[in-house]
Amino acid sequence: MTTKQRINLHVNGKAYERDVEPRLTLADFLRHELHLGGTHVGCEHGICGVCTVLIDGRSARSCLTLAVQVDGAQVTTVEGLRNRQTGQLHPIQQAFVDAHGLQCGFCTPGFLMTTLELLGENPDPSTEEIKEALGGNLCRCTGYESILASVRLAAERMRAGG
Amino acid sequence: MAIEIPKLPEHMHSGATRFIGRDVKRVEDPALVSGTVEFIDNLDIPGMLHCAILRSPHPHARVLKVDTSAAEALEGVAAVLTGEDARRWSNPAYTAPEGWGAYCVAVDKVRFVGEPVAAVAAENRYIAEDALELIRVEYELLPPLATPQAAMAPGAPVLFEAHDSNVVQSRVYNWGEVDRLFAEADHVVSNSFRWNRVGANPTETFGCICQWDLAENSLTVHGAYQTPRFWVAARAMALNLPSNKVRIVSHPMGGSFGGKGGPRGTDISALLSRKSEGRPVKYIEDRMEYLIAGFSQSWDRHYEASLAVKADGTVTGFKVRLIDDQGAGTEGWGTISVAKPLAAFTGPYRIEAARYDTVLVATNRAPSGAYRGYGPPPHFLVLESLMDMTARKLAIDPAELRRRNYLRPEQFPYTTPAGNEYDSGNYEAVLDKLLAMADYRGLREEQSRARAAGRLIGIGVASTVEPGVFDWNAYATVGVPGIGVPEGVKLAFDVFGNLTVVVGFTLQGQGQYTVAAQIAADYWGMDFNAVKVTTAATDVTPPHFGPGGSRLGVAIAGAVLGASQKLEDLFCCVVAHVMQTQPDQVELMDGRLRLKQNPAVGMSVAEVAGLMLSRADLLPPGVEPCPEATYVWTAPNRTMPDEEGRCRSYLTAANATHLVMLEIDRETGRTDILKYFIVDDCGTRLNPGNLEGQLQGALAQGVGAALYEEYVYSDDAQPLVTTYVDYLIPTIHEIPMAKKDFVVTPSPFTPLGAKGCGEGAMHTTPAVIHCAVNDALAPLGLEIRETPASPRRLWQLLHQAK
Repeated sequence: MTTKQRINLHVNGKAYERDVEPRLTLADFLRHELHLGGTHVGCEHGICGVCTVLIDGRSARSCLTLAVQVDGAQVTTVEGLRNRQTGQLHPIQQAFVDAHGLQCGFCTPGFLMTTLELLGENPDPSTEEIKEALGGNLCRCTGYESILASVRLAAERMRAGG
Repeated sequence: MAIEIPKLPEHMHSGATRFIGRDVKRVEDPALVSGTVEFIDNLDIPGMLHCAILRSPHPHARVLKVDTSAAEALEGVAAVLTGEDARRWSNPAYTAPEGWGAYCVAVDKVRFVGEPVAAVAAENRYIAEDALELIRVEYELLPPLATPQAAMAPGAPVLFEAHDSNVVQSRVYNWGEVDRLFAEADHVVSNSFRWNRVGANPTETFGCICQWDLAENSLTVHGAYQTPRFWVAARAMALNLPSNKVRIVSHPMGGSFGGKGGPRGTDISALLSRKSEGRPVKYIEDRMEYLIAGFSQSWDRHYEASLAVKADGTVTGFKVRLIDDQGAGTEGWGTISVAKPLAAFTGPYRIEAARYDTVLVATNRAPSGAYRGYGPPPHFLVLESLMDMTARKLAIDPAELRRRNYLRPEQFPYTTPAGNEYDSGNYEAVLDKLLAMADYRGLREEQSRARAAGRLIGIGVASTVEPGVFDWNAYATVGVPGIGVPEGVKLAFDVFGNLTVVVGFTLQGQGQYTVAAQIAADYWGMDFNAVKVTTAATDVTPPHFGPGGSRLGVAIAGAVLGASQKLEDLFCCVVAHVMQTQPDQVELMDGRLRLKQNPAVGMSVAEVAGLMLSRADLLPPGVEPCPEATYVWTAPNRTMPDEEGRCRSYLTAANATHLVMLEIDRETGRTDILKYFIVDDCGTRLNPGNLEGQLQGALAQGVGAALYEEYVYSDDAQPLVTTYVDYLIPTIHEIPMAKKDFVVTPSPFTPLGAKGCGEGAMHTTPAVIHCAVNDALAPLGLEIRETPASPRRLWQLLHQAK
């Protein structure tokens, strides 16, 4: 074991200060230190995309990122999507519900965060652009068709101001 | 009063259906998209330790010595478990056939890479993994048996000492006069096929938390279990506990597809808890552990098969010889996957007689287990490939050849040569709809033009039958006892008239809680949101199995309807008593219990429930203040197998025909799916959105098995697949968005006419893709008969031919 290192960061807008081992992954930090269990872990090799979060607005694999690397960063997880007070779903979440964009739901937080990044940069993506953005996220249940439809629906609603 | 389950939605007497058959939003989803669902690794129990498992790097070796002293001395380590503990406290895995299992931690010898040899419980996972590095194991290497051929060779070492060979079972099934039909055939079409191992790979691996109560000698397990009570029975046997002292709380699962359970992981965590003075122990399998030693590597098969064919293309006989590599024993119940094809051996065809010659062999690969389809997908790849080879030989269009051989609508219910009964179907209607939707003729013309331009374009058409609603009797031939698969629900109205439906299983992705809620809400004429579906621990839920064998939609429908009828009868008694009439004068309609003669007079369901719980003085004599009912459904009229394994096993026979057009790149060997069409018939469609999801999801898994996924082993039985860089799960780029349509032929035997459909496209997709790949290769005189038809395999084939 090694000495702990102090980190300061914001997760979903809330400030945290913690002492962590340098080897602690961001995924484990979020899940087991901050008890934000919505970021799931699928492969721990950076391939499946299940653990995707946003770090300073950019999608990243939280399983391949160490907690000490996000010192000073703004991290956004799936818990940051819906309205905290009312519980009202974010339009991307609502679109996944409405278009059957999930089955078991384990990979879904990763898809939601990737979609959040995509639609932030490109409010009206083409099918190819959606596929390109989601190409790093594996889903074993849906066969992707309904995910594609969900992202299109979310984009449409967000453009309309929903 | 006998319970009569309605056979069609329109037979539901309690009012118009508002939810069944409609695209209802899933009740499961708001929590899932919010990240608040309690998957097992999201649960912490105070005082909990974390388990890590040391696994064998050798496929076959004697374990001479395990030195755990340094690991035990590491700060933060609570206990280290070895094979000696397993031998003292537990039993080898129960298997079918018996005697092909091992202890949860290796005792004396290891039989596959990844087999546990020791395990640690520590204050956190990081420390537990540190401790693994301090454990010293001495091995004496034994010759690895990497293939069934090696395992069956004279003089091969015996893997399981209780047996005198590595052959788990050798059995030939004969159904009808197969030799005569082959002798009389105008053509015999034969070939060999190799299906390489694939597996479920849900995005969530297995996980559990076990707590051994030393005072009570009981075990509580939280974890990801597809079939909770089934696991209770197995844990009780493995861990020497009374079965009513094992309690499983199954948590929502990040997918399963057959493989969720983890017997070794559970037993190791349980024994570590026992050794740690009863502290809870969490084990979360990591992906590398899953890939080398998880519970769902499936179908490692070597086939030789033949069709007997008349000059006009009528197929009369089908012979299959299968050598199945079970891996290191049968602890994963991989034997079932060899028996299951009996339920639909001859597919959708009028084949008169068949032979199934099976040899199940133990090797030093990982033990095989269950994966979506559980056996028929490779079988149908063989049958459909032979159909295409027949079509080429006889110069008959492959769609036309299938049409000529289909069972006809008037033949249902139809008893197949292998003994199962198909409930209903109209295969030609499915084919017609498919060919029209795809513009089959147009596609063939397009193919001709592309071929003339030198492109490798292939078209495949394949038809399969999906055995649905499994029954244990289907597996009697591999040593599994019993008939009937109970699936129970408890319906409970509370004092305000809200309804709770208690089921025995938890979320896994198929949306079955939604289906249960749809049926209950329709039956009781209730607001959809007034129905809550939930589960509980195995010691309080009704008898159940859970999802598996394409059965749960049908089974849960039967259970909810049965419990509803029981409760309706009770409510009628109560209302009759209050209204001073007879129960048969009261009926449930649109959410009210009303007088048949005077429908304006009655009580709402909520009023009756409230009255039962709060006005005992108004209840008829002998009626308890309990607006609750439990009903346990199982398929009717199942039979004991005869000496050839023939029985009525799977209750339903959904069917589908797929059509694919694809192109192979000559330079890279890569296959691009250009167009994909599906028409299926699974009877009444209870929730079209769920069903569409099951179809498209199974299609994706089928594409993986057909073109990309493979558990590769080296010649000395080392697994070469250890990450998702090696095991290629298809991404959004590889999966075609299939155009789909359907035909509805309700099952005459099931609740609401629904048929099992959860495995769905997995039966058909690998077959149709291989048919199309070989159609693309046909002008070159090439053929691939091994899965997956990966870019590497196709590239090698194309370049060897140059």
